[in-house]
This record gives sequence, C-alpha cells and structure tokens, in this order.
Amino acid sequence: MAARIRIDRSGPITSVQDSGRFGQLELGISASGPMDRVAFGEAGPLAGDGAGAGIEFSMLGIAFSVLEGEVSVGWAGGQFAVAVNETAQAWPGNGLLRAGDQLTILPGPAGNYGYVRFAGELDIAPVLGSRATNLRARIGGLGGRVLEAGDEIGILGNGAVPLVDDVAEVVEGPIRFIWGLHAEIFSDAVRQMFVTERFRVTSMMDRMGVRLRDEAGVFGTAGILSLVSDPVVCGDIQVLGDGTPIVLGRDHQPTGGYPRIGTVISADLDRFFQLRPNSEVAFAPVRLEHAQALLRGGTV
Amino acid sequence: MAGQISISHDRPMIQALGDSALVVRFGNRLDDVANRRAVAFARAAQQAKMGGVIEVVPSLVSVLVRYDSSSTRFADIAGEIRLIVHGLGQDSEGREHLVRVRFDGADLAEVCETLALSRERFAARHNEAPLRVLATGFAPGFIYCGFHGEGMVVPRRSAVRPVVPAGAVLFAAGQTAIAATDIPTGWHVIGRSDLRNFELGASPPTAVRAGDTIRFETW
Repeated sequence: MAARIRIDRSGPITSVQDSGRFGQLELGISASGPMDRVAFGEAGPLAGDGAGAGIEFSMLGIAFSVLEGEVSVGWAGGQFAVAVNETAQAWPGNGLLRAGDQLTILPGPAGNYGYVRFAGELDIAPVLGSRATNLRARIGGLGGRVLEAGDEIGILGNGAVPLVDDVAEVVEGPIRFIWGLHAEIFSDAVRQMFVTERFRVTSMMDRMGVRLRDEAGVFGTAGILSLVSDPVVCGDIQVLGDGTPIVLGRDHQPTGGYPRIGTVISADLDRFFQLRPNSEVAFAPVRLEHAQALLRGGTV
Repeated sequence: MAGQISISHDRPMIQALGDSALVVRFGNRLDDVANRRAVAFARAAQQAKMGGVIEVVPSLVSVLVRYDSSSTRFADIAGEIRLIVHGLGQDSEGREHLVRVRFDGADLAEVCETLALSRERFAARHNEAPLRVLATGFAPGFIYCGFHGEGMVVPRRSAVRPVVPAGAVLFAAGQTAIAATDIPTGWHVIGRSDLRNFELGASPPTAVRAGDTIRFETW
C-alpha cells in the first residue's frame, strides 16, 4: 500500500466518485460520477495518475491527514483555498504528502464542488463495476454514504509523475439546453419566457438535483398534471406541480413523471452544477446537432 | 398537449432526450398494449447491439436509448430503431416468479374500505390472477406489476410516506408495486412480501425484470 489517509473534517455531501457506474439504469441505479466532470478530469493528471477514483467535496471543503506512506495528490474544481500543513498552495495544484502531513481545503470564492485525486487507486471494492457513491441507491464508495470525519481510506500503487494538463477554458453565458420530452405541453408563452427570463439557483441542491427559484413566475403555480413515468437523464429540467423547476443531477432518479421542458447539454452540465446558490441563470436553446458538435470538440 | 400528438403502438415517437440519449415512446398513457410493445422493443434492441448504443432501458410505455454521440448520429439510430420496431413479433416470454404476501399493511384497512371489500376478499381478488411486471428502475430493484381488474383501482395517497422498508407491497392505480430498498412512497402500503429484488452479491442483482410474470400467494 502506498498510503493511508484519514478524513479530519468534511462538508455535507463529500463522497468517493469515479467516472461513473453506467449501464445499470434498468436495475434502478443512475450513473453517479463527478458533478463537475471536467474538474475531476483535471485533478487526476495533477496527481500523476488520471485513472483512479477520487473524493468530491462540497462548498465547505475538506481536511485529511496522511497516516502512513506517501502519496501524490492533485486538487481542482471551482476556486477553493488550499494549504499543506498551513502553507498555502496554488488552486488548482498538487503536492507530495507524507505521513503526518495534513491537507486543508477551505471555502473559496467560487464553485460548489472540488476534487482531490491521488496517484493510485482507492482501496475500496467496486460495486457493479464502479467505486462511485450513489447517495440515492446508497451503494458505492464507503457503504454508499457520504464521507465523515474519522473515515480512513487506503491508496494502492505508487502512481506516476504528475502531469499538468491544459486547464479547460471556462465558458460563460447562458446555460444551453435542448427542448425536452414534454416541451409541447408548455404553452408558447411559457416557452418564450423560459428563454428570456432569469432564474436563480437556490441552496436546495445536492447530487440528485438543483432547485431553481422562478422569480419571474414563468411557470406560475398552475400545476401541470403529472405524466406517465418516462426515463430521466442528468440535466433534465423538470417542473414540479407547484411550478418549481429542478435540474436533475448525477444521482438523479432513473424515471420520473413530472414534465420536462428541456435538458441541459452535456457541455454545460459541469459549469451549471458549480453555480452557487443565489447565482442568476439564463437558459438558451440549442439544436441537437450543435450540442453534439460541442461534444466532438468542434466549435460551432 | 402531449396527448394530441399521434402515436400508435406500431409507429412509436422517437424523441431526443438531451444530446446523448433518445426516448422511443409507444403511448402517452399507461395501457397494457403500449407497455408490452415498449418491453418487447427494449428486449429486441438490447439483443440487436446497435452500433454506438450504450444502454437500452425499458420504462412503462417508453424506452431510453443512450448512445455515444461522439461517434453516432441521432438520425442513424432512429433509422435502426424503426427497422427493429417493424420486425417486432410477439411478446418475448418472461420468467415466472412466486411472491408471497402478508396482507398487514398500514393502509390496508383504508384500501378495503374504499373498495368495499373485506380483507379476505381483497387478498383473494389481489392474488386471483398473475400480474405482468410492467417496469423496473424507479429505485433499485423496484417493480411495478399490473393490471388488476375493475373494482381493484384506488388513487395514490395524498401524502407521501417518508420511508417504507424493502419488501413492502404497495397498491395504487390498478397496480401492485414492491419496494426492494427503503424508499419514500405515495402509494398505499397493503403488506409485505418475501421478495428482495436487490441483492448486491447476486449477478445480476435483480431477479425480476420487466416482462416477467408474478403469481401472488398469501403468506
């Protein structure tokens, strides 16, 4: 074993994540994986090994100590304050931690989620092929639960030399979406307002979904009857009976009966989930071909 | 309204769901034919192993198809889907399971009162015919079974119970559902079963799939 760490302090929704547990929706298990995939992807090479599972922490940060061994650690995602043994470090960044060292990550100016990854793999048995924690299904990670102070995790293998990748360009502007499964049940006026008005991110957010505040009253309170349940994907914008819009997250329910006006495109999910409570958000419709061109790395 | 969009059981609607998935819909309302077509299509599509398709998941009247949008175009998959739908035959035969139910749930008295049936009569009506598993996937191992006949239909409860245990037998909308993990529910709890349809140590972890048949027996 290369190292063993102990969590000294953790925020409310800190969990072990890897790239996700895909292919299990029929069993009733959504894929999970990092809320901000790009940031998770940045932290891996910073640690020296882009492959292993890592820890996703929330706005309040995390602190852990190395109990034994030594391990290279990379950190990225949002903008947090980080120190090794009280010496401030760059964000994103990396460092070699030895037994007795403590890494402390404190709240910073931006982002809801950050990542620490290690040179090596977490010594945690995969469940259905993945180490990702699914908090809804309560599987993966450490017993399907959030990490808590006192938890110990082993790290296997000694990893490789850290690599510094190009840092992904941050895109600004409205959150882009594709009109959804049930867009037609909303009136033309509501659909028009949906793309011209602004919404506000609320503090009611977790890995399952993010509630928005509809200050302009786009959806009113006229409840739309719930529909026969249909498949749900991450990024779906569903509207509850009382008019509250919710953008579904990585631990989304696999099926749902609320109408969905649209689905946030894959390229914009990461930055959407990093929007802090009270942030203003605007939605802009794009065509399917446009969203897919972005996924292929092209510019449109 | 979605209900005005014409969909037939032979010509499902194919809709994009985000940039990496699509939904094949066989109806806008839950009925037996739409459900059978959705399950039969899902099984055929799973066996067809279409290029670029990552996952095919049956739901009540629709089927999710996740695909690799970096290599595959929506239009190409939609074309292949139409070919599979065109070639669909009879329902694929599911497996049959026996589930034993103890009718002692917290909402049983209320359900019996609504239906004007004694507990014994309710249990007998509940168990008299085997039900099809309409769908899985709402929660790990959770199954919906239907449909009960006339006189066995109650709406959902107005309040949600924050948690019912694995094995709980739920009843609403002419269906019986069985929880496989601890979940919240707005359905009536009519009893508990010996079915545990989510065992992580088993492969696969769920024994019951959409399209299977369940016979109920009083425990």
